[in-house]
Amino acid sequence: MLEWMVWTVPTALVFAGLALLLAVMAVWGRISPPVARRGFLRIETDRGDRLYIGLISAAVVLAGWIAITDLSMWLALGCALLVAVVIGIWG
Amino acid sequence: MAAATDRTTGRRLPWARTVFWLYIVTLMLPLLWMFGMSIRPNEDILGSFSLIPQRVTFDNYVTFFTDSSWYSSYLNSIIYTSLNAVMSLIVALPAAYAFSRFRFAGDKHLFFWLLTNRMAPPAVFLLPFFQIYQSVGLFDTHLGVAIAHMLFNVPLAVWILEGFMSGIPREIDETAAIDGYSLPRFFVRIFLPMIRSAIGVTLFFCFMFSWVELLIARTITSVDAKPIAATMTRTVSAAGVDWALLATAGVLTIVPGAIVIWFVRNYIAKGFTMGRV
Amino acid sequence: MRLARAARRKGPGVSEESAPRAGGEVAVAEAPAEDERRPVLKRKDNRAWWLVLPVVVSVAFTAVIPLMTVVNFSVQDVFGPNDRVFVGLEWFRSVARDPEVRAALVRTLLFSAQVLLLEIPLGVALAVCMPRRGVQVSVALVLVALPLLIPWNVVGTIWQIFARGDIGLGGWTINNVLGVNFNYTLDSTDAWITVLVMDVWHWTPLVALLAYAGLRSIPEPYFQAAQIDGASAWSTFRHIQLPRLRGVLTIAILLRFMDSFMIYTEPFVVTGGGPGNATSFLSILLSKIAVGQFDLGPAGAFSLLYFLIVQILCYVFFTVLTRSGR
Repeated sequence: MLEWMVWTVPTALVFAGLALLLAVMAVWGRISPPVARRGFLRIETDRGDRLYIGLISAAVVLAGWIAITDLSMWLALGCALLVAVVIGIWG
Repeated sequence: MAAATDRTTGRRLPWARTVFWLYIVTLMLPLLWMFGMSIRPNEDILGSFSLIPQRVTFDNYVTFFTDSSWYSSYLNSIIYTSLNAVMSLIVALPAAYAFSRFRFAGDKHLFFWLLTNRMAPPAVFLLPFFQIYQSVGLFDTHLGVAIAHMLFNVPLAVWILEGFMSGIPREIDETAAIDGYSLPRFFVRIFLPMIRSAIGVTLFFCFMFSWVELLIARTITSVDAKPIAATMTRTVSAAGVDWALLATAGVLTIVPGAIVIWFVRNYIAKGFTMGRV
Repeated sequence: MRLARAARRKGPGVSEESAPRAGGEVAVAEAPAEDERRPVLKRKDNRAWWLVLPVVVSVAFTAVIPLMTVVNFSVQDVFGPNDRVFVGLEWFRSVARDPEVRAALVRTLLFSAQVLLLEIPLGVALAVCMPRRGVQVSVALVLVALPLLIPWNVVGTIWQIFARGDIGLGGWTINNVLGVNFNYTLDSTDAWITVLVMDVWHWTPLVALLAYAGLRSIPEPYFQAAQIDGASAWSTFRHIQLPRLRGVLTIAILLRFMDSFMIYTEPFVVTGGGPGNATSFLSILLSKIAVGQFDLGPAGAFSLLYFLIVQILCYVFFTVLTRSGR
């Protein structure tokens, strides 16, 4: 049934991570409801928005990296995570 | 108010009407030209260029309705678009109500996620659709195409309906609740009749966007549910393109939209912006 | 920006106002106009999730599962369900550096930019010129909207016929009356122009309809004041009508941008992406790789990069639309 989805371990881990992240956000939202505020992005965001912007920015960093340089992708992953964290905290 | 506005702009811009109707004429030219093609025999089209058809014939229309590959694909399109419109509406109604009446965890993000599906290029989903529908046995079925088109029609329906529902005062819900209506009963008995024009517009737009879609429909069908649009892209034969028949099919695919448009003309703008105007 | 917010909140009120009453049997009086002043108070209730569940399930089936599959494709070389090799990010590297893909991206962006530059001013001008009273309005609305309701492939067919030099009125006129050699199947500039003109023909009506709805919502006293001041038609437009159109034009610009960015059917029918690669936009190139060559891996990587761009644009769209009022 699921054979056509051609799962691999790395992609499964990525999606499991995303699902976990969503679950954590949902639980966190239960414990303390998100508050919208303005950071260096200059638009009003709550923590869900910042998570989304952070993830998208991280993806942009990865895509740009692979399009331009031959340097290790682990380095790119580091940069991407850094960007995501920065946006998540101060965005 | 309308009259006064008309007077102001009317006097200010005396040439405005002329410009407008000139534009309409230009707009109609390609359409009329295609219609002209459909009532000529193929020899005349390729033989010599003429503005007015030399011989008028309805043979192309007869061919269309007697050749099963043409009329059956026309029927296929009608079947899956209708199916899709009804399914999308049924799924979207409660969701649109929820978005217009309640705040709930993640509502904004969910709404945005729905929007991205309306904006996503169908080309992105081609391959997995092909695989999915083959593996679950929906390949080349009307139901399969109808489900695939829910990808962009469900978000569209939710957006349009939410726009209309937000215009209905909440007090009505509260009064009904005080009168002892349960939510489902209130929804079916009172709310649905109130938004029947919105439902009409939503059905129309779902029908429309499913009717005009070619890429997905063509990819997940082969024979039994082949859409008219796909048949039209395959009119090239050994003898060249059958222009007359192509034009005929073109004219006939415009007909359903052209009929219904009269009834929803006042809501077209709203529908196209997904309920945001 | 107040307009956009008010318009959004008003619901059917706006379309009713913008709609003529002559023969308007579908116009219903379900929302009062003073709706504008009443803030929509939503109750917080997480049980609403049960109401959106059907949507979530159906869209998950049609969007999430396919997208996961695309991700899986993109990191493997797939020959069959049981015959595949994990290749890591190799496909992303090759797609992101493929000159053809980059050229298609540039081409698509250029096309979208040209579409906006032509359609927005033309649509606004058309809306200003549209009749406002009597039966004319209904006829005008229907005629203007007609191109929007033509199946996209038929729009392609119409222009495929119309722009041909031998059998099409448009192409024939250019070749024989204007004396310019025009052939969209051989010349790439001609093909580009044909596709662009077709898109303008097809979608300017959308901009016109939106702008028209926006114009109709401008209160009459504004015009009276302008008249008393002896303002010219241009300054009336520039200082009264245009600022009030900001809300609807935001929607129009962003809708037109998104839709022209994923254009497929019309150019596919008319030019098939040719001649050469002259009109091969992102969607056309992608479906060529996906369906034509059935290269699952590269198509998957391409799809994801394409999807990423759309996500970003879409977020900008959504942010501008929902936050511009604040």
